[in-house]
Amino acid sequence: MRSATTVATFAFLGILCLTADRAAAQTPEQRRIDELERRVRDLESQLRELLASAPPKVSDTSDTVTEDAAEPDVSDVSDTSAGGQQPVPSLGPPRAADETAAVSRTGPISGYMDFHLNKPEHEDPVWDFHRFVLLFNHSFTDRIRFVGELELEHAFVSGLESSGEVELEQAYLDFKVKPQFNLRAGMLLAPVGIINERHEPPAFYGVERPFVDTFIIPTTWFDAGAGVHGTIGSGWQYRGYLMAPLDTTKITAEEGLHEATQKGFVSNVRNVALTGRLENVTVPGLTLGASFWRGRSGFNFRQAESSVGVLEFDGRYRAGPFGARGEFAHVFVGGAAELNDFLQRSTGVSPNIASQMRGFYLEPSIRPLPRLRQDLAAFVRYENFDTQYRMPAGLLPLTQFDRAAWIFGGSYYPDPDVVLKVDYSIVRNRSSLFRSIDSFNVGLGWWF
Amino acid sequence: MRRIPPARAGALVGAVLLVMLTSPSGFSQEPRVIRVTAERFAFTPSHITVRRGTIVELRLRSEDTNHGFHIAGSEFNAIIPKRGRGDATLIFRADNVGHYTFECSKMCGAGHIIMRGTLTVEE
Repeated sequence: MRSATTVATFAFLGILCLTADRAAAQTPEQRRIDELERRVRDLESQLRELLASAPPKVSDTSDTVTEDAAEPDVSDVSDTSAGGQQPVPSLGPPRAADETAAVSRTGPISGYMDFHLNKPEHEDPVWDFHRFVLLFNHSFTDRIRFVGELELEHAFVSGLESSGEVELEQAYLDFKVKPQFNLRAGMLLAPVGIINERHEPPAFYGVERPFVDTFIIPTTWFDAGAGVHGTIGSGWQYRGYLMAPLDTTKITAEEGLHEATQKGFVSNVRNVALTGRLENVTVPGLTLGASFWRGRSGFNFRQAESSVGVLEFDGRYRAGPFGARGEFAHVFVGGAAELNDFLQRSTGVSPNIASQMRGFYLEPSIRPLPRLRQDLAAFVRYENFDTQYRMPAGLLPLTQFDRAAWIFGGSYYPDPDVVLKVDYSIVRNRSSLFRSIDSFNVGLGWWF
Repeated sequence: MRRIPPARAGALVGAVLLVMLTSPSGFSQEPRVIRVTAERFAFTPSHITVRRGTIVELRLRSEDTNHGFHIAGSEFNAIIPKRGRGDATLIFRADNVGHYTFECSKMCGAGHIIMRGTLTVEE
């Protein structure tokens, strides 16, 4: 106890000595330093006052977009600067979203583009401006919003076959009710698989979309519909829609469901399809999803009912520079035997439509560079997709459509929204007569 | 070895203590730092719970493009820089008990509107 008192006494005396010593020994330089310190303190206090009315701090503003940013609510500043403390704006009481909506507002146009060079084996190379997509959004209030996505495929549209397409892939109104329950209606994206709702070119590896997301899941899969969506619990998202059904008469042996969507073109809804997706993002870096589609689809041939069901599971994981994606999709075509019989009698040729189709892929990847302004990625994807997986009685599978593919490639990102892609695709099938075609592809994609 | 006089030693200890005790901190209360990752089309974590009175410092980072972080019904809104371009930080005091929705406020792709989460302030 005594020694502690002695130390404290020495400390106090020491401080006094140092202070007195310093005052006595003040030189012109020291006085100048003191004056500068005083000015810095003045500036500091002025800065604090300014911060009280400034937008929230953004640590790196070099690439910050500010058009949507609003001022923070600092009208209720509960922690004042008394005692030299920095003021903290208070988050006001929870309010209904539309209480703050003063006027309607239209967001800036966004979009993405996909420009490809494709060189199939033994064929001439082609330049293809594959996709030119513009997205529009408008908020009528904070509760009611519009989103539209208009796509031009292959750059040129005419009334003839083998031309491009103009597609209205999304055009819906979204009614925000509460986090767990919201409504939307219009032209919707089917919530099936990884790519259908995440198809911006920088968001996936490879010049072309995966084969599974082309033939088994017909991306971009959109149609008229209405439904609900929301977030529940910790990290769960769901979507459930009623949508126009697929047209089973457009299913083919080679391309599966690729051409079977009605695309909102006076879509027949004698029977609507039910589709939904559940997604979990609880674990950092890991996204797991499952989706389904089920709908009667025989409106173009009424002699017997046919239907399409899709079950899909997918996952994405990222840990440091490593990443991986996987997807599995299984398609069930109900009434396939009657459907084949009807189409054969109509056209004279059996379409050989399968009663089940199946596909899956696994795609490990690496981004070897740390977080720099420019980025590199390398990936390999193995895909297995069979559009003749199970056949109805009396039909044999065409084995050239039981395929597997290895895609090796890389992506260079001069900006996170701009990507240069290169890949080589090796496709094999089980037929001894037909050989699948490999291809070399280069792509330039961007999002804004 | 040169020995430090007791008075000088006491003075040094006292000065160090004084500096430590009067060292200015940014806030009267240490903020609770919560790191949130944004990636098409989800925030992780998407559900955040804090106690009333907590000073919350949200450090927002994107794994792809620009995103926004807007707390619905308030004016709190930050634009999250693209991947590799730093973090955005939002600081506020959670004074009121209740449920808030936060959402992406910068068009980020086809699924932009589903990019939402909840902030719960509890007693």
